[in-house]
Amino acid sequence: MAEKTCPVRKTVVYLSDQIDSGRLTDPKGRRISEQIMQLAEEIAEGAAGSDHLSAIDSLIKEYFYPKSPVQNQEIGVRLKGILDEHREVFISHIETKNCPSHDCGKLAPSPCQMACPAGIDIPTYLGLIAEGRDAEAIEVIRRDNPLPWVCGLICTRPCEMMCVRARIDTPVSIKFLKAFAAERAMSDRAYKNPEKKEANGKKICVVGAGPGGISAAYYLALMGYEVRVIESLPVPGGMMMVGIPRYRLPREVIDREVAMIEELGVTFSYNTVFGKDVTFEALKKEGYEAFFIAIGAHKAWDLGIKGEKEFPKVIEAVKFLKDVALGEHHVPGKQVVVIGGGNVAIDAARTSLRLGAEAVTIAYRRSRTQMPADIEEVEQAEEEGIEFSFLTIPKEIVGENDLITGLDCIKAELIQKQGSDRLAPVPILGKDFIIKADAVISAIGQYVDDEGMQVFDKMSWTRRGTIEVNHASMETTMPGVFAAGDAVSGPATVIEAIGGGKRAAESIDRYLSNIPQPRMPKIPIRHRTEAPFEMSASRKMTLKPAQMPMLSVDRRRTMFQQVELGYDEESVRREASRCLRCDICRRCGKCVEICRDKMGIDALKLGYMDFDDPSETDFRATSEKCILCGACAANCENKAIVIEEENGQRMLKLCGTILNKQEIQYCEECNAILPSAEYMQFISRKTGTAKKVTEKRLLCNNCQRKLGAKINVSTRPVNRI
Amino acid sequence: MSKYYLFQDIKKCIGCHACEIQCKSNKNLPAGPKPCQVIQVGPKFIGGLPKISFIFMPCFHCENPWCVSACPTGAMQKRSKDGIVFIDKDLCVGCKTCVSACPWGAPQWNPDIGKVEKCDYCMDRIDEGLEPACVTTCTTGCLKFGNVEDMTQIRRERHAEAVSSLEKSSF
Repeated sequence: MAEKTCPVRKTVVYLSDQIDSGRLTDPKGRRISEQIMQLAEEIAEGAAGSDHLSAIDSLIKEYFYPKSPVQNQEIGVRLKGILDEHREVFISHIETKNCPSHDCGKLAPSPCQMACPAGIDIPTYLGLIAEGRDAEAIEVIRRDNPLPWVCGLICTRPCEMMCVRARIDTPVSIKFLKAFAAERAMSDRAYKNPEKKEANGKKICVVGAGPGGISAAYYLALMGYEVRVIESLPVPGGMMMVGIPRYRLPREVIDREVAMIEELGVTFSYNTVFGKDVTFEALKKEGYEAFFIAIGAHKAWDLGIKGEKEFPKVIEAVKFLKDVALGEHHVPGKQVVVIGGGNVAIDAARTSLRLGAEAVTIAYRRSRTQMPADIEEVEQAEEEGIEFSFLTIPKEIVGENDLITGLDCIKAELIQKQGSDRLAPVPILGKDFIIKADAVISAIGQYVDDEGMQVFDKMSWTRRGTIEVNHASMETTMPGVFAAGDAVSGPATVIEAIGGGKRAAESIDRYLSNIPQPRMPKIPIRHRTEAPFEMSASRKMTLKPAQMPMLSVDRRRTMFQQVELGYDEESVRREASRCLRCDICRRCGKCVEICRDKMGIDALKLGYMDFDDPSETDFRATSEKCILCGACAANCENKAIVIEEENGQRMLKLCGTILNKQEIQYCEECNAILPSAEYMQFISRKTGTAKKVTEKRLLCNNCQRKLGAKINVSTRPVNRI
Repeated sequence: MSKYYLFQDIKKCIGCHACEIQCKSNKNLPAGPKPCQVIQVGPKFIGGLPKISFIFMPCFHCENPWCVSACPTGAMQKRSKDGIVFIDKDLCVGCKTCVSACPWGAPQWNPDIGKVEKCDYCMDRIDEGLEPACVTTCTTGCLKFGNVEDMTQIRRERHAEAVSSLEKSSF
């Protein structure tokens, strides 16, 4: 998709070439072409409605009127071909108002939104949060993600990875702003469910109450379906509840957001195992027409080393975390070794510490930089006193009787292996050592537990033991059965499961309405475009990234209280207004190029716009050189950079940031608005016409000419012979 | 000055503005920019009678055009072979410097594309041996386009006619 020219843009360019070429000598053909081009342009600009495509279809038919010239028919055939092949892209442009190829410049999406697996309209809700409109922000987020509060605390934030602000200083702290808005809206009783459609009488069964299941249930309920969620655990949330420890995600957050889903009429059956307590057959008989499987990946991989099965104190991290989450607060041992390098390993280690373990070591076979765990998590673990043993391959769990005494390990070195882009740890012979331990927690990954899934007999599984789906629609190979979340991806993230659940909900609706499934993956929707938040260049530059206040380390080593305490309101508003609004400015760099190369002024220091080779950015530098000529604004396709005249001020603004501001001067003679003094100097320097007599006065061009002419007449009378 | 001259026979012009329309339609321009314009002067009472005059204002294609020297991008140019002042729109960035610099208001702002439009005597047509668009539709035939030396002839002949009233001649 991204590497090819967008078919919508292609249509516009093709038609404009045809019209300009003069080959269209037939007036009717020319008229049809101009009308189609107009419609296609509107689609490319996000100004199209749902009727645009059918209007284009019927216009294309008009090309083939009796005795229509051959060039008309050629265009008709060509356009029909483009439309048949890429119909989804046209529909997607109309519906999502995003063009991922960036060819339709006005629909170029923001990188954060494209990075989000659930496709949240991030710039819009940041704009709302900056203005203190938290409930509206939550409403926008929940169109793509029903759990903004949960994600605001624990999301792996792929959006921040792509944040353009990072090229100036640090990414906008997108993740937490959501949590603040959700908490504030919840507290203000302004966190509301959207209006749901009238009940359509169809029933859907969701297996698993994790993020994928909850997400699908939410969107299906909104569409008017009756949804029942089957959950084997006594609590909602799946891995969010039993995998993520409470010091990262308090239970109340999950409970409150799940309560919002229940309010929509979704039924949750807890302590109910699919295939045991309820069967596929029985559910089908009850009238459930579609099934959504989001059972997660809860089974731990074995370490495959000696001693693993002999000692009771060799614990699987997922089981350990689940027991703790369900209330069994028992310390695993005094000296705990956790094997693994992912977030689960860190969670298990930090949980052990909070339960009273004296020493906790994480043994990982690669080095720090290769750890899949979040860097913040690793840092927080270190602050709490957890030790790391890198390049450590566990060899054997040693002990006496039933008691572990240590973990026998080998030192490893990292070697580049052919055909792999990840460095492989290779044991160094003879470099054995023992880490003292009385408990060993294995956290080397999970897989999907397929127990009870055999009833879905036509459903295929991948080689990795996950459910095979079409990723555009989340359909399994069995009609009427859909799947998402870790059960499809293997252990992954909450936000991916939420995105998958949402996609599945849409496909289930299409399946039950007999509409064919999409052929291409859904593109995130630009719900609206908020006006950018206005502020001075100095403020935009100097807004310091918010610092997360943390619980004291002593508390963190002893209790399950939330570690990240959250920003105060002022920091939240400030942080949200650091956003550069990449949904409006697509960073094509044309303004910079024109100002520097064409005008020779070089007032725009916007190095962040260059993706490959970012140079320095300083919004404040513009006012030093800018002559307010407006060439940048005239060439900005998206109206991201604009010149505005209001309240006696002339301002150059880039997405709300005031790059330059001047008092407007008026003509002394006729009171007309004058361009800036720097601009007039720029012109007179170029033309070399020092308007001597009038240069001391503020005059518009017309008055200058008029007065100049009078002066000429009086000082240079016509020579009469 | 360019080697061409666009002569308006003011006596014949009735102010129908057909030239403006033809110009804009030939250049496919939106509302706003008028590369050529007919300016109405009057009506004024002269000797007890209302008089009105219509002055055709295209670009004068100055000998030393300020728009060309003002243009920072080199978009505004003077064609060396015949002196036509024209704009290369691919180079124009819409700074409007030429608009401010021109004493005659010849460069026109096209808000649709954010660039400047201007009379270039329809040089693409001239190169094909055709006349500028405005000249082709002049209802009274008052617009004439040609080389400067040919155009002076019209005035000369008219003046000669006016002064030599044959009926009242004393010769």
